[in-house]
Amino acid sequence: MAIDTMKERNMSDIKKSQRVVKTIVTILVYTFLILVAISVLFPFYWMLNSSLKSLEEYKLTVPTFIPRSFQFTNYVDAFETANLGTLFINTLFVGLVSTALSLVITVLAAFAFARLEFKGKNVLFAGLLATMMIPGELFTITNYQTVTHFGWLNSFTVLIIPMLVSVFYIYLLRQNFLQIPNELYLAAKVDGTSDLKYLWKVMIPLALPTLISITILKMMGSWNAYIWPRLVANDGTHSLITNGLRNSFTDTSGDVNYPVQMAAVALVSLPLFLVFIFLRKYIMKGVSRSGIKG
Amino acid sequence: MVEGKNQWKAWIYLLPCLILLLIFTVWPIFNTVRVAFLDGYNGMKAVGGTEFSFGIKNFSDVVMYKEFGTCLLNTILLCVITVPVSTLLALLIAVCLNSIKPLNRLLQTIYFLPYVTNTIAIGMVFAAMFNIVGTMGTQNPIITTAGIINNIIGIFGVEPINFINTGSSYAANMAVMIIYIVWNALPFKILILLGGLQSVNKQYYDAAKIDGTSRSRTFWRITVPLLSPMIAYVVITGFIGGFKEYSSIIGIFGEKLGPASEPGRLNTMVGYIYSSLSLGNEGRASAAAIILFGIIMAVTLVQLYVQKKRVHY
Amino acid sequence: MNKFKKTGVTLLSLGSIFAIVACGGSSYSREDFGSIDDVISHAKTISSKDNTDDNFEKTGTPNFAVPEEGYDGSEVELTFYSTQGQSLKAITDKYIEEFNKIYPNIKVTHTSIGSYDDVRDQIKTEIPVKNQPNIAYCYPDHVALYNLSKAVAHLDNFIDSTVSDGNGGVIGLTDAQKADFITGYYNEGRQFGDGLMYSMPFSKSTEVLYYNKDVFDANALEVPTHWFSESDSDTTSMEYVCEVLKKKYQNDIPLGYDSEANWMITMAEQCGADYTVAAPKEGESHFKFDNPTMKAIAKRFNKWYQEGWMTTQQLYGAYTSGLFIADGSDKAPTRSFMSIGSSAGANHQLPGKNSSGNYPFQVGITSIPQMSATNKKVISQGPSVCIFKKSNPQEVVASWLLVKYLTTSVQYQAEFGKASGYVPVLKSVASDPTYSSFIANADLGNDYATALAAKVCLEQEDAYYTSPAFNGSSMARDQIGKALTKILPKPNTDDGDLNAFINEVFDDAIKECEQSI
Repeated sequence: MAIDTMKERNMSDIKKSQRVVKTIVTILVYTFLILVAISVLFPFYWMLNSSLKSLEEYKLTVPTFIPRSFQFTNYVDAFETANLGTLFINTLFVGLVSTALSLVITVLAAFAFARLEFKGKNVLFAGLLATMMIPGELFTITNYQTVTHFGWLNSFTVLIIPMLVSVFYIYLLRQNFLQIPNELYLAAKVDGTSDLKYLWKVMIPLALPTLISITILKMMGSWNAYIWPRLVANDGTHSLITNGLRNSFTDTSGDVNYPVQMAAVALVSLPLFLVFIFLRKYIMKGVSRSGIKG
Repeated sequence: MVEGKNQWKAWIYLLPCLILLLIFTVWPIFNTVRVAFLDGYNGMKAVGGTEFSFGIKNFSDVVMYKEFGTCLLNTILLCVITVPVSTLLALLIAVCLNSIKPLNRLLQTIYFLPYVTNTIAIGMVFAAMFNIVGTMGTQNPIITTAGIINNIIGIFGVEPINFINTGSSYAANMAVMIIYIVWNALPFKILILLGGLQSVNKQYYDAAKIDGTSRSRTFWRITVPLLSPMIAYVVITGFIGGFKEYSSIIGIFGEKLGPASEPGRLNTMVGYIYSSLSLGNEGRASAAAIILFGIIMAVTLVQLYVQKKRVHY
Repeated sequence: MNKFKKTGVTLLSLGSIFAIVACGGSSYSREDFGSIDDVISHAKTISSKDNTDDNFEKTGTPNFAVPEEGYDGSEVELTFYSTQGQSLKAITDKYIEEFNKIYPNIKVTHTSIGSYDDVRDQIKTEIPVKNQPNIAYCYPDHVALYNLSKAVAHLDNFIDSTVSDGNGGVIGLTDAQKADFITGYYNEGRQFGDGLMYSMPFSKSTEVLYYNKDVFDANALEVPTHWFSESDSDTTSMEYVCEVLKKKYQNDIPLGYDSEANWMITMAEQCGADYTVAAPKEGESHFKFDNPTMKAIAKRFNKWYQEGWMTTQQLYGAYTSGLFIADGSDKAPTRSFMSIGSSAGANHQLPGKNSSGNYPFQVGITSIPQMSATNKKVISQGPSVCIFKKSNPQEVVASWLLVKYLTTSVQYQAEFGKASGYVPVLKSVASDPTYSSFIANADLGNDYATALAAKVCLEQEDAYYTSPAFNGSSMARDQIGKALTKILPKPNTDDGDLNAFINEVFDDAIKECEQSI
């Protein structure tokens, strides 16, 4: 009996100390995460702060942390001078189409690399990876000549097609496909399921989180693309959002109206931010649905 | 026979990808290599009818360039420091984030924010934060204003640090670059690692709990191995991206790529390629790109080799 | 992880080997390179090179011949790249419509591309596929780049052409039209070493000295007319003014300068020192700026900086116009009392009005200081336009007609000048009624600073210079500016060290330039 109570007391001591440790750890974890969050958020606060200042206040040698008077008109100016409406629609169109096409191409290629056997697979894959390592700027001139040759200048085609394949995404998805047990595939083969059906019914649902990540990355890529669109589609009717950002805020003397530009950057970032918040739910869902059970 | 059929099928799957790559990637690479071996190739001069002879002068020009060592050293330093730091930090954040319930969604969203922004625009914000304004580089500098970072460290009684302005030290410049690059690299890495963590089977952890395995042991013995494909992915892509570092430096230092008193101090390989291109020296730019490619290739091969041995699927 | 480390270390040591090899043994002379007094006395001896045609001997042959029939009225489509913001573009487009009343078959697409560099990059990519525009905003450096491909049409045959323009005149410029261009601006098109005309001036600006009238009056100071003190009783030099102001206001920086490169190039021009040449003799270099005069000037400016008399945007870490408009309060404690910057940026040099709606001080605008009263030199900036060759000669002729229309139209130049703050390129714009009523307000205070800046520009029309343009001229500009920002913050406690450093910096700059071409 005596021994038993000793044991019990010990156990409750241990439990108590475990609880203390756990609380401390939780506090530490939160402190850490919140500190990181603050340092992540600060530049955004600064962007918003700057976007609400007058140009005079922006140029002050001692920056103000809160605008002296809030210049909400900067946002109106940004929207109007940069003609953001049309640019938004253009960018959305290009983003959606290229994301959809890119997903198809990426899934097919990643599947081939992850599940199918063919001669020279490894060499080809290594070669693909190698292309990632060349600074893309070098491609620009040759590609410009190619698309001119095709007669694609100033069209949506030129904004979509040359950017469709990303070795990054193929690599990312292949890694994910590889994690799916081969047994599933072999079982499906025995059942007589076709590759495409297997891909559609099994692989894609299981890799949904990755596919959604790719979607976001690709959308973002279209949204942030700058050099290429400026070069190949500068006729105004096909311009994309970032081009509008750069071109529109230079005043007569060649100086940039930074607060208005900051306002435009904030406006342009907003949809992406919303897209992420919206799609994040799907990431979570995708994760829970794809939990591999045995 | 089944083998043969599969072969054929595989190529069909790859067809759209390969066609596009051939046109928009392989052909430009081919062109780059060609141009790299034409001495002093300049696209404008070529249009004007100048002929260029075959040779390796572009390569020797690149290697003999006075600042080539600086460019290479900066590139390598930035890579070697920022990739491990950002990967470890991202891993730590992802694990912490995965262990909490309240605020989880909010924090996740916040951490992803930097991805939504333009490198150069936010770089300008960072530059403003680290800026110090005044007559730096004189015996008795007047400091008119110090950016927010110096204001913060001033609260703790530290003298203002000249991070990026006239007369600043190389170490201070590098520190700012590293902070910015890590800040920029975190969201993607957190996203990938968190995705990985969430697909890790809870049963492993339950088993570990029952066995009374310690936290750190669980982390190193279960979490890291299970995450290894994701870690390998972010490390490899991190290195590839790191070797191509350039726009972040433009963001902080502007076109002069260094403090005013030391322009070009933080130039990188891609910075050199860019400046050669903008001068019309496509031959030299191509040669520099091929050299850079060689370096990245070597590093990646080493990593893939390590990955083969260490990564668990 | 270990393996990563090892690779890193290997690569690191590889990098440092390169670095060591690259830095290998350089010893620079600690010898002096002449005194500023010599520079001053030499500058006084040179008389203003007149901007006559003799300085632009034609050694080349124009590459475009005007067709005998001139513009045949056929339908052509032109593209015109500019950097005009919305309001300016609207003005230009209005005049293009006017132009179309005369030539209805010339369709013009006017696109605003972004910055000047964006225009250059765009055209640079377009030329290899023969997709370049017909007309483009340009700086001389850009034209030099395009010209490597021989894509730019020389304008000489147009200017001299007596073929009918289909509108009761000739295609060329009349003598009156030619004489109406401000000479310095017009000659910018002929800075390419072969005496041929590559571009027409479009709208221009220069550097002017903005000063704080109230502070100058309060201290009974005269506005400086020259840079360096020539005697102990010299009270009109920039040096004197800076010294007095610095003594009185120790926490302020008397002078702010926007552009280091402009400063050095202008000093070379004012001192009669070499900078660059467009067409060097066989075996000689384009880049001539590593001479004792330039080094002596850089050394003197080093003293200015070390004394806290001046700063530049790069060195200061913020806009120098921000210093100039600062009010000395806790919010903006450091001020400057003089600011040298673009004449087109007058609005940025205006302090904000206080709560009662008054300006805290009045801004004066005048010419920048000089080395010699008989050899005044101020830089000419702002866009010109060039015309590209096309397979259809009618397109080129039509391009010329538009360029001629825009650059010789007094109304357009006046309206564009008023709206942009840039200076019109025609002398007769000054007597245009709307423009002259705009200029008439120049002395009415800060609200009319743009007019005052324009007036100062017009008054110094004989002083404009432009630098030679060739493949590598943009690099020279870049390097001379960087050289100055490197030299200014160097401590001047040891004269020998400073000299050696200056020699080294100039040497590096020249090497960098030579390597770039």
